[in-house]
Amino acid sequence: MVGLPYDCLANPLGAVRLTFEKAVASGSEPALLDGKDWGAADLFRQFLFDDGGLSQVPFLKPSSITWVQPNTLVRFRGMIQDMLGNEYYVGAYKDGDTWRTNKFADASRCPMDDSSDMRIWERRLLYCVPVPGQSSWVEPSNEAMKNPYANSIALQREKRQREDHTPMADVDMAEPDHAQEDSPSSKKMREDGAALQQVTLQKSASEGKSSNSDLVGDVERNSFPCLVKIYDAPESDLKLNDVFEFVGIFTFDPDLTLDRDDTDDFCEDALVSLPPSKVPRLHCILHRKLVVNDFLPSPQLELTPCAIKEVREALLGHLASVLGNDRVAAQYLLLHLLSRVHARIDSIAVGKLSLNLTCFNKESMSVFGNHLKLAMENLLPFTQCLPLTVDYLNSVSLIPKKDYSTNRLVSGFLQLAEGSHLTIDETPIQTGTLNSMGCENARVLKNMMESQKVEYDFTYYKVEMDADVQLLVLSEGKSNILPADLVLPFRPSSVSSILGVDGEMLKAWRWYFAAMKTLPHSIEPHMQKVVEDDLVAARQADRSLGSQEFSRWLTMGRLMSVSFGETCLSMEHWQMVKELERLRKERLQGNL
Amino acid sequence: MNDLDFKQDQEIAKDFLINFADPNGEAKYMNILQDVANRKTKAIQIELEDLINYKDLDEEFLRRVTENTRRYIGIFANAIDELMPEPTEVLLEDDHDIFMTQRAEEATESAGGSDPQKKMPPEIKRFYEVYIKASTKGRPFTIREVKASYIGQLVRISGIVTRCSDVKPLMQVAVYTCEECGFEIYQEVTARVYMPLFDCPSEQCKVNQAKGNLIPQLRASKFLRFQEAKLQELAEHVPKGHIPRTMTIHFRGELTRKVAPGDIVELSGIFLPIPYTGFRAMRAGLIADTYLEAMSVTHFKKKYEEYELRTDEEEEIAHLAEDGDIYNKLARSLAPEIFGHEDVKKALLLLLVGAPHRKLKDGMKIRGDIHICLMGDPGVAKSQLLKHIINVAPRGVYTTGKGSSGVGLTAAVQKDPVTNEMVLEGGALVLADMGICAIDEFDKMDESDRTSIHEVMEQQTVSIAKAGITTSLNARTAILAAANPAWGRYDLRRTPAENINLPPALLSRFDLLWLILDRADMDTDLEMARHVLHVHQAKESPDLGFTPLEPSVLRAYISEARKLSPVVPRELEEYIASAYSSIRQEEAKSNAPHSYTTVRTLLSILRISAALARLRFSNYVAQSDVDEALRLMQMSKFSLYSDDRQKSGLDAISDIYSILRDEAARTNRMDVSYAHALNWISRKGYSEAQLKECLEEYAALNVWQIHPNTFDIRFIDA
Repeated sequence: MVGLPYDCLANPLGAVRLTFEKAVASGSEPALLDGKDWGAADLFRQFLFDDGGLSQVPFLKPSSITWVQPNTLVRFRGMIQDMLGNEYYVGAYKDGDTWRTNKFADASRCPMDDSSDMRIWERRLLYCVPVPGQSSWVEPSNEAMKNPYANSIALQREKRQREDHTPMADVDMAEPDHAQEDSPSSKKMREDGAALQQVTLQKSASEGKSSNSDLVGDVERNSFPCLVKIYDAPESDLKLNDVFEFVGIFTFDPDLTLDRDDTDDFCEDALVSLPPSKVPRLHCILHRKLVVNDFLPSPQLELTPCAIKEVREALLGHLASVLGNDRVAAQYLLLHLLSRVHARIDSIAVGKLSLNLTCFNKESMSVFGNHLKLAMENLLPFTQCLPLTVDYLNSVSLIPKKDYSTNRLVSGFLQLAEGSHLTIDETPIQTGTLNSMGCENARVLKNMMESQKVEYDFTYYKVEMDADVQLLVLSEGKSNILPADLVLPFRPSSVSSILGVDGEMLKAWRWYFAAMKTLPHSIEPHMQKVVEDDLVAARQADRSLGSQEFSRWLTMGRLMSVSFGETCLSMEHWQMVKELERLRKERLQGNL
Repeated sequence: MNDLDFKQDQEIAKDFLINFADPNGEAKYMNILQDVANRKTKAIQIELEDLINYKDLDEEFLRRVTENTRRYIGIFANAIDELMPEPTEVLLEDDHDIFMTQRAEEATESAGGSDPQKKMPPEIKRFYEVYIKASTKGRPFTIREVKASYIGQLVRISGIVTRCSDVKPLMQVAVYTCEECGFEIYQEVTARVYMPLFDCPSEQCKVNQAKGNLIPQLRASKFLRFQEAKLQELAEHVPKGHIPRTMTIHFRGELTRKVAPGDIVELSGIFLPIPYTGFRAMRAGLIADTYLEAMSVTHFKKKYEEYELRTDEEEEIAHLAEDGDIYNKLARSLAPEIFGHEDVKKALLLLLVGAPHRKLKDGMKIRGDIHICLMGDPGVAKSQLLKHIINVAPRGVYTTGKGSSGVGLTAAVQKDPVTNEMVLEGGALVLADMGICAIDEFDKMDESDRTSIHEVMEQQTVSIAKAGITTSLNARTAILAAANPAWGRYDLRRTPAENINLPPALLSRFDLLWLILDRADMDTDLEMARHVLHVHQAKESPDLGFTPLEPSVLRAYISEARKLSPVVPRELEEYIASAYSSIRQEEAKSNAPHSYTTVRTLLSILRISAALARLRFSNYVAQSDVDEALRLMQMSKFSLYSDDRQKSGLDAISDIYSILRDEAARTNRMDVSYAHALNWISRKGYSEAQLKECLEEYAALNVWQIHPNTFDIRFIDA
């Protein structure tokens, strides 16, 4: 990138300042820049997306935190687990006669004296964690990209940790020199930045393994949190439990362990429990919501109608073999895996299709349960498995709960990202007594099954959060705790040893799920008439049918046509749904 | 802004305090100041509202006060210092006064030395506190809306208190005495932390190079009560998919101990930053904590009786009240997503409105709450109706007969785990006092709870005699119960009494009992199929054909209606009495009575009529109210016994004819006006369309003649 006086990747703050100075020079009143972007985001947007810089930005994750430099550009993928409210900071201040900004930074570069003119701005703090239940194949790999520091810095640092007195000069050497002579101010910034980095590095180095590496060591892979600071973005953009990719400036100040000077235990601060030495900070410049496709390895597979049928057949075969050659169960499982909540009307979540496979016992569970679990993990990006026992229900709160003493939302098992898959294994449950927490948990699970909503506990009131989770229940008999949309007795005919699936196939299936799930759907007027008549006839024949059943059939019809890659319900698919339901009914009656 | 301007503003403030007159023409603030001087109160609350209403209002001054409130509290305090009148009553001198007299004497002695450190800060002399209260007009902010741009300004917010600290003393002025020169040194404390003085700064010590030791004087220093609290956004203010925000609140002086965790409050206060101090400031110098310095606290009121209307709501209600069809409109707006069940919804609306409680001279109370029981097949949206009603009611508790905890529905005596004392814990019914208690699965209720519910439903109290505690708690609640029939589904082959497995003693306490059956009906099936299809296709609810009123409007309307207590005019008494006796007679005639018509039924009629009158905003019960009440009762009975009617072989048309003929015979008249006829038949649960059909049919048979314009009926003498 010749001609640019700054390096977006290694010195993003320099770029931010430069744009700020430009904006001030061109007559913008610094006071009016609050909550507005003065061109920095555009600059980065261009760098990242138009010029393809995104692929050069390293991912922040446990394996990379040891070598990613503070104050450089990184990206982080995660789910918003908690919102910590606003933080007020001195956004712009007057240093002598020039305005300076502190946006996207933790600390000021120049000491400020109190009398100087300053503006207080605000930013939002989001506590993000990796998506719960993320499958291993989803993990983005840093290896794919060329990282300028990957070798040099990591080595240097390791070396430094061994011999404490190595001079610090090599930090500067390690950083590629950039042509930035044409802008004196940005050069100053860079120097400051470098100085600060040096201090940081020195500190962390002198603390040895207690900082960076510690973080990786004692915190397990799944709980690698990040505190994201959001600027300017409208509040409605970012919602709890959404999965986002944040691109921003990474700061990590291990020496910023705040010794609270007042020992007043009342004035609790969420940040105290999240010391900067444990939780990295990310000053977000750009963010985008991720969909399933974003987690799949590119390039995108082109799925022609013909290919879709093939993939579908192969997938169905795979699912059937996982389920011991039970084709009916495989069909239902396929529909179930394609379901998602696509609308909420009144209190009904339209599009959900939870499945309850019954007739499992201890032995079949140990065989098929594991197969199923493995298959789910291979096919879907986010899967979770919950074995239910009375003890578990009685002891663990499944719902997230606000802890007022730390001012944090304590995550519960049911805080899941949109589109997650949850397998609930009911077979280990024994007879026993549920205490009040157990009852509450059972109620929450039932509520989630029925309306795809989870109540978060804020002690004084509960806040209902929408969820979109595919729920699969495995049980011995029909589960009464968890009333699923579909109950299907499971009839395996053979036990196949787990067959290896080749990688290309898996890739195609993942693409299939991601693409088919988002297809639109409609019912033509003439089909509508047919469906209407069928529904009325069914109800005339069986009074126990209600709007729930109708709704389920329509959902199945939709999923059936979607599974063929079609956007319109056809007679053929509708018949298939009816046939499936007939088979299911037969099984249910046979089971009685 | 320089000092000169503040001086000027102090004059404005002074002027305002002297000259402001409340609507009665009294000098409001001077009266308060006199009370303060007489040590009757400590707080001086300056309301911005008054400043707005002040005749010589200076808009700029008002703006400055709202935007730089903290400074202006000082300005007002200075103005008050100058204005403070002499006490008009004899006061007992306390420690503080003795200190002040001493200080005043000392001050006169050493008048020559104008040492700034020895000058008494005005705060130490003040025995009052000044608050500036924000205008109560308009909607308060939610915590989310208070942004950086509001720093330093007066804002009004609402929220729920989640945590409160203990009340602690906060030093406002530290006082020291010098060992060497003996002077009192004052130090004003404005921040949370301060650096105590160690060396005497007085002229004398400096000259002598004595460096006198300073000894802090706790008794002479001025302390304020101080309390911190956390305020959290209310659930309804949190946008979907977000976490409620919190804010730190500081209470000082008289405002402490005003709130407890769980309180829903409205606060006005100054939004202020606290810059980090010390090491933290050096490293993270950029960030500031913020807090709200409370200026006034108002607790939210949730009961209907205390519901305060906003002006726009008042207008809307007035507009609605003019609409003739308000009864139907309100009823339809209840649970609009549940199709049909118009009469049930009407009954539920009346339950929300209720009738006034009556207390007789001899101390007997007659309840005004209307109890309703919904009985029906599973899956006919009973629970949804219940939940919706709870949402509309300002105070509603939803519980299930079985699902309630150890406390159950009524109350329990429990041992407090900390203090080991016996404490009373109210159950759902007690918690719903002055509100509505919805009990789902009423039939599956514990026997013990069911017995105590008898008392709740008629006497509206819960009596307890457990563990040495005998007491009775108020439970003035309207009960809305939902129950399933005895065998899960309603069995048409059995009698209604068999299907409803509730004892008659309990049933008679319900004003209305409704049976909602899921009948095999092609049309409703098609309706349902269409509805589901529409929902799946259009991803929205089908058009209702009308716009339902917002729950908030409903709530406001009902609370307005509940303020009235209509009475039955004398001329209607006869009418009601005859209606009641005819029901009794009808029951006596039939060999298998379906219902137990007792005095309770009469009271029910009165209650429902009164509720209807309230809905019309009328202070008198009209005949139309009584007729509608009778119609509702009849409809509720028909929902139970409509099958019987069919069995008896009478179709609707001939039944209407016999009703009309009987009525005409009873009154010994040959002419029946249309309006009367409509009245009679609607009381029996028939519609106007059926009446018209009947009129035409029998006119064709030459049984009667129909007036072509007025539809009045004239029987042809046979």
